[in-house]
Amino acid sequence: MTLVVSILLLALLPAQSASSRYLPKSASNPVFGPWQVYGLLNGSVTITCFYPPTSVNRHDRKYWCRESGSSCRTVVSTSGYVAAGYQGRASITDYPESKHFQITISGLTEADAGSYQCGIGINGRGLSHKVSLDVSEGPHIPEGAELFYVELHSTVSMTCSFGKEAANERKFLCKLDKSGCRNIIDTYGNVDEDYTGRILLSNEDTPGSFSIMITQMGWQDSGFYLCGYGAYGESGETKELDVHVYERTNVPQGKPTIIGIKGSSATFECHYAPLRSSSLKYWCKWREKGCSRIIDSSGFVSPLYEGRVTMVNNPENKTFTVILNQLKDSDKGYYWCMTEEEKEQQSSTELKIIEGEPGLQGQKDVEAQVGSPVDLTCSYPCKYYSYQKYWCKWSSTNCTPVPASDQRQPGPDVTCDRDNRTIILSFDSVTKADQGWYWCGVTHNGLLGETMAVYLAVAEGQSDGHNLEIEKVDAPSPAETGGNPQGRAFSDAGVQSAAGSESSDQSQGSSTLVLSLSLTGAVLLVLVTAFAIFKYRQLKRSDLVSVGSYRTNISMSDFESVKGYGASNNACVKENEETQMGGDEFITTEVTPESAAETKKAKRSSKEDADLAYSTYLLTSGTSTQGDPKEHSTAPEVPPPTWQGQI
Amino acid sequence: VLAGYPWDSEDEEAVLVNNKCQCVTVTSKLVPSKENPEEEVVERNIRILVPLQARENISDPLSPLRTTFVYRMTELCRKCNPVEIELGGEIHQVQQSTSCDVPETCYTYNRDKCYSSTFPFLYQGETRSIQAALTPASCYVD
Repeated sequence: MTLVVSILLLALLPAQSASSRYLPKSASNPVFGPWQVYGLLNGSVTITCFYPPTSVNRHDRKYWCRESGSSCRTVVSTSGYVAAGYQGRASITDYPESKHFQITISGLTEADAGSYQCGIGINGRGLSHKVSLDVSEGPHIPEGAELFYVELHSTVSMTCSFGKEAANERKFLCKLDKSGCRNIIDTYGNVDEDYTGRILLSNEDTPGSFSIMITQMGWQDSGFYLCGYGAYGESGETKELDVHVYERTNVPQGKPTIIGIKGSSATFECHYAPLRSSSLKYWCKWREKGCSRIIDSSGFVSPLYEGRVTMVNNPENKTFTVILNQLKDSDKGYYWCMTEEEKEQQSSTELKIIEGEPGLQGQKDVEAQVGSPVDLTCSYPCKYYSYQKYWCKWSSTNCTPVPASDQRQPGPDVTCDRDNRTIILSFDSVTKADQGWYWCGVTHNGLLGETMAVYLAVAEGQSDGHNLEIEKVDAPSPAETGGNPQGRAFSDAGVQSAAGSESSDQSQGSSTLVLSLSLTGAVLLVLVTAFAIFKYRQLKRSDLVSVGSYRTNISMSDFESVKGYGASNNACVKENEETQMGGDEFITTEVTPESAAETKKAKRSSKEDADLAYSTYLLTSGTSTQGDPKEHSTAPEVPPPTWQGQI
Repeated sequence: VLAGYPWDSEDEEAVLVNNKCQCVTVTSKLVPSKENPEEEVVERNIRILVPLQARENISDPLSPLRTTFVYRMTELCRKCNPVEIELGGEIHQVQQSTSCDVPETCYTYNRDKCYSSTFPFLYQGETRSIQAALTPASCYVD
């Protein structure tokens, strides 16, 4: 005899804004299937039900039961049971690797029409999906909706095929809601704002067919959709699509948003399916009319992005990484990682640009004469102290590493010295072939990090006399050393620009040095005085804010009650399906109005009174629900899990 | 056609608490206030399923039946699972609640965990202690 009592309590609180971060109630039922199935008399029907592929779900019992009253009588289940009357015409098969199970019923009669449930575990526990079976004479039966069971944050690809008549018509996808069908995307370029950046509509090869891809699927994307041609409600045809989003815990998700600092770089990671590692991969920017390709694995780079983007393939991790640097405000938007096959592997990321200081600093444009030595310096902040740094030469297929020196002395020191944090790429004698883009970058644990791009322009020209003016600041002047320029392969540049300008003026002598030093000193003095005056004034003017001016009516008792009911809307992390102990049946008792008022009033006074009222209620209801619900039990099918029966 | 679809009657209801251990769900939605229908207030639904056949210790079926069930909103609303947030361009794992070290007494089984117990097994005159699964579906290795 098993009894379970459920109680509904209501608590009213002042209005707070509901955040869309919280799971909607529909998210809590992960079992998904068709809501309506149509069958012909004497025909057969197959019902497919999906479930999240966790270990417990894959091993648990699957059932198909018929609703009668408040319970659900098993028709067929994976424990081997088949109800009387369904022998030989009902079967159930589980496909745990494909996260679904199928029920087939043949020899349909009119009596078979009704309300059923397909589910996992024990009947009536809520881990199920309601299906309505309709049996008609025919000969034509409506086509059911196409089901899509999609993991949270992943991508869904839906294809709709119509005949040739749809070839030149407007094609659209709309989402059904209570008031009609809300247009999501169509071939005229209209895109709903909730889907901006993450939906693409593309025509297939066969005329009249098109496919829609949506990435970053969220809970709100579950529901009924219609894809079609023409206009909804007016002309053309539509097909029904039923989409359900489920969550699989413990699976790491790709970042949906990447924040890039203006002038710096951003790294995008794209995952692809293992089977198709040799197919063409490309990276594109989302536009309302499609996705414009920026770079692909065949070596194509869009001319607008020359020197700014590179793609690195990593077959072991089944990812390819795209780095975009020299970020500008116009780079913000949505970027898609695409592969020619395996549409489900496409993913999209939103790039946001913020103001800030890039980590890697250096001169971005360097001009040099043919034959002269050139140093490209890149200084890094302390946070990259332990990272691997490199210089590479950019080409449209990849960025080939070039040996460079790291000014940090290798040694057992743990501190990060303010000076000597540069990597220098030196050319003893630069040639025309060396012209191009060079990237300075960091990697850490195999992950590609920030990069900085430098363009080296090599000009034909005379040597000697013109060297001093034409060479830019970080090429050391030959006059300084007076020695062989080749010998100065690795100079000690600290803060690079200041050192450079000073060295080129070395010939002027120490008088300039003294002058510049005194100037800087004077400026500093003025600044310090100004700052001191400003702070003094601010102190005089500011009000000393007293703590008492704020409303602070905190007392110990407030802590008690605040904790109890004032807890803000913090959602606990969603976990998987719930489990009930005990047998198969529920007895639901509604709280009667007067006792509800009682409990409510009791709650308002104090917690102790509430506990008292609750326990009294339990005592009274316990005596009233002693009736044995044997007539509803589904006992013949499986014995309730008792202690002895588990060997 | 539209009327036939199984619409969620309350589409804006959000799940705040879904505690598998104590079997409590708390959902909230905005409803017009009873005093002033123009205004909307938050209504919270607390659903508690009390497993009356549960044992004091759910891992030991020989312990006595549990007769006291205590539900505290502070414990139910605790968010102890670490989440990722972005600070200064780097990802950090943070835990949103304090006192997460206190172990929770569960009144019912968590479907993703395996519960087992030993029991004396009499076979051929010999009594041995055998381990048996209380929740077999959850106890598979793969």
